[in-house]
Amino acid sequence: MFDETVTILENKKINSEYFRLVITSKRLSRDVSPGQFLNIQIENHQGLLLRRPFSYYRIKGNRIEILYAILGRGTALLADKRPGHLLKALGPLGRPFTQSLKGKRRVLVGGGVGVPPLVFLAERVQKESSTPLLLIGCKSKKEILPKRELAKVKTEVRYATDDGSYGKKGFVTVLLHELLKHENPKSIFIQTCGPTAMMDEVMKIAKEFGVEGEASVEERMACGVGACLGCVVETEEGFKTSCVEGPVFSFGELVHHG
Amino acid sequence: MAKTINLTIKIGNLTFKNPVTVASGTFGSKDEYAKYVDYAKLGAIVTKTVTRKPRKGNPMPRIFETPSGMLNAIGLQNKGIDDFIEYKIPYFKKVKTHLIVNIAGESVEDFVYLAKKLDPEKSVSALELNISCPNVKKGLEFCAKPELAYEVVKAVKEATKHPIFTKLSPEAHDFLGVADSTIRAGSDGLSLINTIRGMAVDIEKCKPQIANVFGGLSGPAIRPIALRYLHEVKRRFDIPVMAMGGIMTAQDALEFLITGAHLISVGTANFVNPKATMEILEGIETYMKRKGHQSIDSVRGTLKVKPDSESLLAPAG
Repeated sequence: MFDETVTILENKKINSEYFRLVITSKRLSRDVSPGQFLNIQIENHQGLLLRRPFSYYRIKGNRIEILYAILGRGTALLADKRPGHLLKALGPLGRPFTQSLKGKRRVLVGGGVGVPPLVFLAERVQKESSTPLLLIGCKSKKEILPKRELAKVKTEVRYATDDGSYGKKGFVTVLLHELLKHENPKSIFIQTCGPTAMMDEVMKIAKEFGVEGEASVEERMACGVGACLGCVVETEEGFKTSCVEGPVFSFGELVHHG
Repeated sequence: MAKTINLTIKIGNLTFKNPVTVASGTFGSKDEYAKYVDYAKLGAIVTKTVTRKPRKGNPMPRIFETPSGMLNAIGLQNKGIDDFIEYKIPYFKKVKTHLIVNIAGESVEDFVYLAKKLDPEKSVSALELNISCPNVKKGLEFCAKPELAYEVVKAVKEATKHPIFTKLSPEAHDFLGVADSTIRAGSDGLSLINTIRGMAVDIEKCKPQIANVFGGLSGPAIRPIALRYLHEVKRRFDIPVMAMGGIMTAQDALEFLITGAHLISVGTANFVNPKATMEILEGIETYMKRKGHQSIDSVRGTLKVKPDSESLLAPAG
C-alpha cells in the first residue's frame, strides 16, 4: 500500500451518470485486483476533510482509470478538477473479488458506480472458458455505461432500466431472477456491486435459489486502513471493516437485512 | 555543525522521546498504521478504548463528514480486555515507544478491574481513563460531576502503579471543577479534549446522518475550543496535559505546545493523512530550529498573555 500524490491526466463527464478520472502511478497500478479501491484526498484543505473511496475501473500500464458519479460534496469538487491538478491517493486497498471460480459461470450484477469494478473484473478474467454475464441496472438509457467502454471486454451484457427505455423494464434483479429460473443454480457464482437496496435484493434471490456469491459493500469510510471502525458491516462473525476485511464479502458472511 | 534538538519530555517517571502522540480511537489497537508510520518515532501510542467485556459498537451509519470535521458514533467497538491482553499488547513488546492504554467502564468497579488487569503488563506505560465518551450510555457520567470524577480516579490510582491520564470532555458542566477533582484524586496528567456531541440531518430521508442520532465532533472544527480548554486548565493548574482536538499540521500542534501542552495527540488527521504524525514531528523540529529552541521544554507555555487581558476571561466553571 502506498500513499502518493498523483497528477490528473483526464477528468471528463462521459455521459449523464459517469465521469472518467485518469491518473498515472507505477506503484498504485501494480498488483491491483478488481474490487480493490483507492482512498483519494480530493482537496488538501480542512473544509473537505476526509478522503473518498473509489474503485479501480481499468489499468493500462501505469495508467489508472476510475469512473465516478457526483454523489455528494467530495465528488462534486472532484468533478471541477482539471488535468494537471493534484490528488493524493492511498492504495491499493481492500479485499478484492474472487477471480478463480473453478468452472462456475460468473454472473455480475451491477448498478450505478458499482458497475465499473465489475467491468474491471470481467476484463481480468477473459481467459476463463465461460464468458461472464454482466447484468446492469440503471434509471434510463441516458445513464448506461457507453457501449465503447465494453467494446473490448469479452462479456455478455444485459440491461434493465427503471423506465424501460433500454433493455428490460424494471430492476436488474428481475434479470437475475429470470436467469436463475432457467439455469442450474449450483453452476453459477454471483458477484455484485451497487446500491445497498439492489445488493440486498440480489442476496435475497441468491438465497432463494441457493446460489453462492460475493458483494462489494459501500459504507461511509474515513481512514481506509481499519483504524476508525466507521465503515463496518454486520457479518456472521460480528462487525467487520469494509476497508480492510472487505469491501468484498461472501453472501454467507453478510448478515442479510433485505 | 547544527546543534541537536532535545525533544524529550518528562512527565513523572516517564520520558517521552517527543511530544507527538496519537489520539485514542484514531490509530487502531495494534499495527493498523505500521505500514505508514514507524511507531518507534512517536512519543507514545494511545490505543482505542478497551472495555471489560467485548462491545459490538453502535449501528451504522457511524460517521459523517461535516464542515472541517467529522461526527462519529462508533460506540467503543472492541473485543474486550482479555483479547487486548492476549493479542494486542504482545505486539507492543517490540515497539520502542510508550504504550498508553485507554480504558472505559460503566462503573468504578469496571475501571478498577481494567486497571488491575493491566497493572502487571510491562509494555504498558500509562493508562488513559476515558470518562468522556459521548457515544455510549453512561459514557459521560463520570465527567458530569466532580465527586464522581474524583471517586473513579482515586479508585484507579489505588489499583495501579501506572501513571494515569484522565480524558475530559468540554461537555462537563463544571469542567474546571472536574479537572480539579481528578487532579486531587491523583491523576498524573489530563487529556484534553474528547469530542463534542453534534448532529447532522439527511434532508432527503429526513433522518439523522448518524444512526445513534448524535456523534462526537472531531477535526479542525473543534480546535479553537480545545485550545481554550487547554488554556483554562494551564492558567489554573500545574498539571501535564496531553492535548488533542483537530491537530492536522505542525502549526496546529505548536499552538497547543505554546499554550502549555506537554504532549499533543493527532487524531482525525490520521484518517486524512496516514503520515500526519511524522510530518507534524518534522514541522515542530523545523520551527524549533528557526526559533532557536534547543529543547521542547523551552517551547512549552511560551504563550504571551497580558495580565490584564486575563480578566476578560470568564470566571472558572
